[in-house]
Amino acid sequence: MSGLLAGSTGVPAPTPGVISERVPADTLGDILTVRPPTGRVEADPTWDEAPVLLHEVLDGHYHRLVLHSPSIASRARAGQFVMVSVPSRGGAKILLPRPMAIQRRHPERGDIEVTFSIAGRGTAELARIEVGQSLLLTGPLGRGFEIPDATSRILVMAHGSGVCAVLGIVEDAAARGIPTLALLSAAMRSAVVGERDCAELGTEAIIVTEDAGSNTIPAIDRLLREHYRTDRPSVIMVCGSSALTRAAVALGVDWGIPVQVALEAHMACGLGYCHGCAAPVAASSDRASSDGATSDRVTSDGAISDGATSDREGPLVCRDGPVFDAHVPF
Amino acid sequence: MAALAGATPATSAALAASTTIARITPDLDLSVHIGSLVLETPVMPASGCFGPELGRLIPMDELGASVTKTVFAEARGGNAAHRLTEIPAGMVNSVGIPSSGAAGYLATQHPAYLALGVPVIISVGGHRHNEYAPLVVDLQGAGDAYELNVSCPNLDREGTAIGADPLELARVVADVRRVTTKPLIVKLPSMLSSIADCAQAAEDAGADALCVANSLPALALDPRTGAPLLGNVMGGLSGPSIRPVALRLVWLASRAVGIPVIGCGGIEHPDDALEFFAAGAKAVQVGTASFARPSAAVDIARGLRDECRIAGVSSLADLLAARAR
Repeated sequence: MSGLLAGSTGVPAPTPGVISERVPADTLGDILTVRPPTGRVEADPTWDEAPVLLHEVLDGHYHRLVLHSPSIASRARAGQFVMVSVPSRGGAKILLPRPMAIQRRHPERGDIEVTFSIAGRGTAELARIEVGQSLLLTGPLGRGFEIPDATSRILVMAHGSGVCAVLGIVEDAAARGIPTLALLSAAMRSAVVGERDCAELGTEAIIVTEDAGSNTIPAIDRLLREHYRTDRPSVIMVCGSSALTRAAVALGVDWGIPVQVALEAHMACGLGYCHGCAAPVAASSDRASSDGATSDRVTSDGAISDGATSDREGPLVCRDGPVFDAHVPF
Repeated sequence: MAALAGATPATSAALAASTTIARITPDLDLSVHIGSLVLETPVMPASGCFGPELGRLIPMDELGASVTKTVFAEARGGNAAHRLTEIPAGMVNSVGIPSSGAAGYLATQHPAYLALGVPVIISVGGHRHNEYAPLVVDLQGAGDAYELNVSCPNLDREGTAIGADPLELARVVADVRRVTTKPLIVKLPSMLSSIADCAQAAEDAGADALCVANSLPALALDPRTGAPLLGNVMGGLSGPSIRPVALRLVWLASRAVGIPVIGCGGIEHPDDALEFFAAGAKAVQVGTASFARPSAAVDIARGLRDECRIAGVSSLADLLAARAR
């Protein structure tokens, strides 16, 4: 979810089977549906000029910010995001805010954390922010992850900065004493996000990286099937790679468990009123079965949405997601 | 006084808490008449860049009105992704105006707009001149005024708009005038051969105000591949890069008609709004600026009041005169 509008929108298509960061959501359009309503009431978003308490550059690649925003920290749920407005200075004018996953919540201190890499003009400008300056945040936004009832074990799988989106679930699971395994993928060993967070939360993490040759889909599949030989997880939550998402769905189908996936999208408002982040996702999950793992993704009128039906608007990533259900293609 | 002229409140809570102070302005009259409708404040959101989702985050009673996303007679799904991209000092969008139709709007959206507590200006659109009046009839008297969107560049006809043709435009306005007594605002396109001709045609056909202008037809390509960045290929450019274009059009339109002109295009700050007032506008709309700063329109409304107070004047006309001295 980091730096989604930075630079160009022309994201190259990922190579099948290779985990690539910043994958476009449309490569997953055939397996996603809007999650059925849960009746859960989300807190109204708010906005804050949030002071930057910490700006840490991780291995010269990722920028981690701790931001003081008590109103957002106290409302945010796992998997929700904030819109981060980019301050104008020195002639640089960044018009649109950047959506970023809320990586960590510290409601007792009133802080949240986000992590991003420089992907274009906006994130390059954000990377210059200094401790003591403030960033305008709007949030928390969107429908986050939901831990199903009677969950005994959780598997989270994420690549690159996509890890940020699933760490809220790691926090919640740790607080509720639900055993969780975090599969953290990255291109390089030095660019793994979330390792320290998992250690801090007492959550087991498995690191897979391209430079070690360990983050191929077959290797990950083998590793996880071995890990869960006896006791399987109750749910899989995934972000940051379409290949990883497809691997998660394959496991979810075999194990008969739901898979939830957090998407990236280009956004302007984050609230839903600009209608800019059309999600290539089925507009309705009327026929989704309760276990969520193996149902069709056909809308009630039989149409498959590509984000632009002729007479009915499809889902928006910001309002109906960013977390969607992933189902096996039929 | 310090609270008024000082820094903008830094949180939504602080902004809401400070509304009482900001509203105590008994001597100050910034109201503007759009036909029979009186807007207490000459600042409102621009259609498409606003919704109740945003209205709930800001003190709406400091704005003159809300303006809806354009409603079409029939339901529309909107364009394929990607729907927007950013350029330096601008945004190109081809959202395609998703709409649930008149019935859908009345059932699902209008109550949320009403709940914001300010006059509701319903933006109505059509693909042909004869689609507007039946749509206004279908809206069954809802709303306090109608803004006729005859200018959206990202719909059909490759960016040309009904509003760019004075004859076509006059038919639309006259047709709608026959079916409602409510104030009519005509939102003109940015691309037309003569803004004066179109402005006069709208006024002669019964418009109560003009909104000038809309986003500009534009194209954004991926610099590496040359491929269009937007699903709809073409889009509309908005944001500060179009401000001088809109300002020129406001200057020309306000000299061609007697009805009020509402300025719209890249307005981000009170000073931008004052430029439009100086060019002849009687009110302004704020669009793209709200994305980065939800309180942008409210900040502008407050800034105008502060400027009046600092100058010791009680109206925008007096403020402009004082600034011109």
